[in-house]
Amino acid sequence: MRILRALVTIAVLLAVWQGVVSLTGVPRYILPGPMAVADALHRQAPLLIQHGSTTLIEILLGLALGVALGGISALTLASFRTARRWLMPVLVVSQAIPVFALAPLLVLWLGYGMASKVAMATLVIFFPITTALFDGLRRTERGWLDLARTMGASRRSVLWHIRLPAALPAFGSGLRVAAAVAPIGAVIGEWVGSSAGLGYLMLHANARMQIDLMFAALAVLGVFAVALYAAVDALLRWALPWQPDTHPADEKD
Amino acid sequence: MKRTFAAAALAAGLLTALPAAAQDKMTVLLDWFVNPDHAPLVVAQEKGFFKEAGLDVTLTAPADPNDPPKLVAAGQADLAISYQPQLQIQVGEGLPLVRVGTLVSTPLNSLVVLKDGPVKTVKDLKGRKIGFSVGGFEDALLGAMLEKHGLTTKDVELVNVNFTLSPALLAGQVDAVIGAFRNFELNQMAIENHPGRAFYPEEEGVPAYDELIIVAHKDKVAGDGRIKRFLDAVERATFYILNHPEEAQAAFVKDRPELNDELNRRAWADTLPRFSHSPAALDAGRYTRFAEFLKARGLIKTVEPVERYAVVVK
Amino acid sequence: MNAPVRPESLHTPVSVTVTGARLTYGGTELFSDLTLRIEPGVTTCLLGSSGVGKTTLLRMVAGLAEPEPPTVVATDDDAPLRGRIAYMAQQDLLLPWLSVLDNVLLGARLRHERRSPNLTARARALLEQVGLAEREKDRPATLSGGQRQRVAIARTLMEDKPLVLMDEPFSALDALTRLRLQELAATVLAGRTVLMVTHDPLEALRLGHRIHVMTGRPATIGPALEPPALPPRAVDDPALLALQAELLRRLAG
Repeated sequence: MRILRALVTIAVLLAVWQGVVSLTGVPRYILPGPMAVADALHRQAPLLIQHGSTTLIEILLGLALGVALGGISALTLASFRTARRWLMPVLVVSQAIPVFALAPLLVLWLGYGMASKVAMATLVIFFPITTALFDGLRRTERGWLDLARTMGASRRSVLWHIRLPAALPAFGSGLRVAAAVAPIGAVIGEWVGSSAGLGYLMLHANARMQIDLMFAALAVLGVFAVALYAAVDALLRWALPWQPDTHPADEKD
Repeated sequence: MKRTFAAAALAAGLLTALPAAAQDKMTVLLDWFVNPDHAPLVVAQEKGFFKEAGLDVTLTAPADPNDPPKLVAAGQADLAISYQPQLQIQVGEGLPLVRVGTLVSTPLNSLVVLKDGPVKTVKDLKGRKIGFSVGGFEDALLGAMLEKHGLTTKDVELVNVNFTLSPALLAGQVDAVIGAFRNFELNQMAIENHPGRAFYPEEEGVPAYDELIIVAHKDKVAGDGRIKRFLDAVERATFYILNHPEEAQAAFVKDRPELNDELNRRAWADTLPRFSHSPAALDAGRYTRFAEFLKARGLIKTVEPVERYAVVVK
Repeated sequence: MNAPVRPESLHTPVSVTVTGARLTYGGTELFSDLTLRIEPGVTTCLLGSSGVGKTTLLRMVAGLAEPEPPTVVATDDDAPLRGRIAYMAQQDLLLPWLSVLDNVLLGARLRHERRSPNLTARARALLEQVGLAEREKDRPATLSGGQRQRVAIARTLMEDKPLVLMDEPFSALDALTRLRLQELAATVLAGRTVLMVTHDPLEALRLGHRIHVMTGRPATIGPALEPPALPPRAVDDPALLALQAELLRRLAG
């Protein structure tokens, strides 16, 4: 069963981790063992829950905004040639700027509360979504477009009825990347200036040499990332039933 | 506590010693990018004091200020510049470090407000926002200072502004900042024409401590003749700075034009009097007193005997 | 000349004349000064081997390719062909996210026409005619290649346009399915003006009222060959096989 397989994988990873710690003798203020981290998770549960919920909200809001912004950008790029010429370079540059250069600016404009973290997460997410959806919109099957043309469909009709549904699988790929990357955006935002959240907690624990707590916070963040990815994956499977997977490994020779 | 630093500092400034024969190599990890707080080290480098002591010293700036003590504890470097409060906390968490010398023997950390701002005394901080950098013990310093004036940390809102202390204060996003170094942030604000005012922890209920110390791995000190020679060279450089401040400053900025700006020049003047005149000497009573302070504020569990984490190198 | 049967629901069948048709590609002249006459109410087959340019010619008529000057595509009633064409390609071009019924009704969807009960009834009747009435709710992925092409036929007829253009519609199917679909096509297309491009002489003979061979480099279009009797013609008819020999001779140039 799938759950059993997942549990086995986790158990193996934990064993490897413990093995690395025991065999290499790495000090616990650099890499604590899984038992130490589990202990920290248990002892500091209220703290982790409190900061965890802050970060979770930032991630979810950032994801929602990033998807919305990305979707709009992609549709704009696909619909207007002038937009493509001017907007595309801006988008590419926005991704080239390292986030820690942008983060202080965001904090300056949006304050130290949740808004700047959500903005950071949004920034990190919206480009993968934009490119994925835009790519999908661009690569519509020639035959469908021909057919639509002979049927007298307007450009808008073709975009809405053919290009967009056809681009949903590509959009799905972008969404999966976004889900995996959203936690990073939120945490980076917290590093720059915040008083709450897992990123803040990690910084604080690190400075206090409470490395087991830092790793515990990291573990919680990891759980968020995995859960988010799984949720997005399930959502996409439900929304795109007409696009079944064809895994190469499943083919019979 | 981290200081901001207007000069463009590169991610890792590497200063290599002049090549010489039969020199003992030594790696020293700084606590932050090269700045006037490190003057004795840089001057010892530039004036050849290390070389004359038979040492080939490499000074490295870290990317993450929390790393140097960890790396020395893990055996990846010989010495690190760290902070006395940090050391006492780290030793409490089991890091095998000892203090072998002192670079700056006064606190530099301070609570800074705008001079013509609404905060005239520490009491005025009630209900206000205080910015801090996550360093591990700012809340302890702040708590003690507030309590001296009848307040607690619950009476203020703490906001982590990480390294952007002065900008946050100047932009009005916070009413005060803790973790600002008095020789830096005050000068930075003066240059921006928004002079600041500092409240000094050692005057507001916090025992005095050494801001910058030199730490080594606990088990590697005995029998390592390099450390004593290193400290001798640092002491020599300190006196050179005291006696020949202009030549010393010229040596400091040689080949480092980014350190030759207004902020660094002003910081140099303010840092000068704070270098330890006797880097190897140790005031055990002072260290114990500060450890008791940390214990009382819940940052460490027990007050270790000083000789466990601070030694005088012979 | 064989008299075609004219279905009741038809518009006045349109007829098209292409003159001066020219196509250059990569510096080579593929054809020039070609003439093709598409007679009203009958199926005209354009037979040629791959690469001769017959698909491009069809696309020029369909409005999917810009006619290279001095090509002229003219109708007998002088009205433009835009909006009077139903197009069927080699691929079924069914949208995988729509059901079979929705695919048949694609034209109405793209043109934002209201889906009246009348319209739906007509679509269902067409599905019945192509033998797929009970599959109307299924998705194309669950149908075989032949079945999907049947849906495409239904969709083409749903458009109910005066000119039907078909580009090798059955060449991707196996021989048996191909024969069956040819029967079906001939039946449902009776009385309509059709231009069908194909590379299979037998197919042309089974379905075409008039057959032109397009061959050579630069290509030329030969005179019409009009087989006796009405399509669909029987495969085992010796007269047909004799004509096939003639077509092959013309193809070989």
